Amino acid sequence: MRYFILLLTCFTQLSCSIQLDPLYHSQSYVFGTLVDISIYGERESEAQFIASEITRQFQTIHNRLHAWKPSELNGINKTFAEGKPKLIEQDMADLIADVTQRSVQSEGLFNPAIGNIIHYWGFQSDDFPARTPNADELKALVAQHASMADIVLKRHQISSENPHVKLDLGGYAKGYALDVGLKVLKEFNVKNALINIGGNVIAVGQHGGRPWTVGIQHPRKPDAIATVALASGWAIGTSGDYQRFFMLDGKRYCHIIDPRTGWPAQGTQSVTVLIPPGADAGVRSDVSSKPIFISEPSRKAEFAKKMGVSHVLIIQENGDILASTAMQTQLHWLDKEAQARVRTLE
Amino acid sequence: MCARLSNLSRFPKPLWGDWLVIGVSICLVILSFLTLWSQQPATTLRIRTGDAVLGEFSLMQTKQLKVAGKVGTSIIDIQQGKVRFAQSPCNSQYCVHQGWLQHAGQVAICIPNQVSIELIGAVQAMDTLNY
Repeated sequence: MRYFILLLTCFTQLSCSIQLDPLYHSQSYVFGTLVDISIYGERESEAQFIASEITRQFQTIHNRLHAWKPSELNGINKTFAEGKPKLIEQDMADLIADVTQRSVQSEGLFNPAIGNIIHYWGFQSDDFPARTPNADELKALVAQHASMADIVLKRHQISSENPHVKLDLGGYAKGYALDVGLKVLKEFNVKNALINIGGNVIAVGQHGGRPWTVGIQHPRKPDAIATVALASGWAIGTSGDYQRFFMLDGKRYCHIIDPRTGWPAQGTQSVTVLIPPGADAGVRSDVSSKPIFISEPSRKAEFAKKMGVSHVLIIQENGDILASTAMQTQLHWLDKEAQARVRTLE
Repeated sequence: MCARLSNLSRFPKPLWGDWLVIGVSICLVILSFLTLWSQQPATTLRIRTGDAVLGEFSLMQTKQLKVAGKVGTSIIDIQQGKVRFAQSPCNSQYCVHQGWLQHAGQVAICIPNQVSIELIGAVQAMDTLNY
């Protein structure tokens, strides 16, 4: 009986400590998606101020990088189309150089220069209608060969050798913002926080006595498929065919376009990557999953390697799951049916 | 009641087999507590519009809520322990297609209308969702 009371006391204390959680939580809509900021262990007024400062900086990034509304990026796209050079800010030049380097690293599978094709599919819109594609029109768009390598950066001047280059940083901006968010948290000396921008998450410190726990969405069910304890500085990102897509005649068309064909990538439901701490962890969590998602099944492991990713989880079209050994050690499976379908990615 | 109590006091002293049953039962309870931790049923629904919490509602009721969002009215059905977006003014209807939510930690978001529903249990199984 004595031990039973002891056990009961432990559980009561556990639940009490959970209820007294000094957790501040804010939600807003930026980048056309949900931004979720959790700050643990700070006074509420301070946490609120820091979260709103982070949101403000995100809004600034969003306004500068917006792909289809008037923005700095759109101004650059316009001068590309006109074949003229343009003077840009140093940080924008650095950002575009970084995007180019990552595009080259992915052998062009991560290609933010194909804004024209993304626009064609209707994905450059907050709420897009289903569109019946025309194979000939798409062929013509792919034949424009828009590539990051067409962009010429000379100090503060940018130009493109190909007038069809139209930048769309939809696969980069959210990750970039995560890194900026992390910097703001450091400036304010926040020890424990979690930022989620449209599903891309970065962690600082932990949630009280335990690590931040992040659920990974099941691509076909309204539940998490597994959870991951996200250690300080780590980031997680997923590319999925269930976030922005439309169905047409029973076929799914997702927003991730294979730049080689101009068609939405097929054969994969989702690719999740875990990225270790680093100044560009956010960007890597956003960018790295794309080439793995787009590449054919036999080359996915190769592209994970090319992108420097050792923690990767791939859910294939038929529901079979491939996970790297490193990733398997990090996953806590909730969906036992899915867990039974896991094979090691080699 | 009194008769039952007096019955209890006359209960025979437990044998080793009884202790075994009690021991196994406790193990089972602890085991199921650990395994079902993340899939526990939710008790409360939190609805947010934009950056504000609209309110928290008990899941143990049958009720239809009309929530004014950015582009129109989302209709949310609560039905004895589960909840769903029944109707939405958005084009994609992803929120409606998500169907019923019933576990703590589950979230459905209508991004165009900026309305989100989140299920909360006694202990949150996760801090956020990667999607």
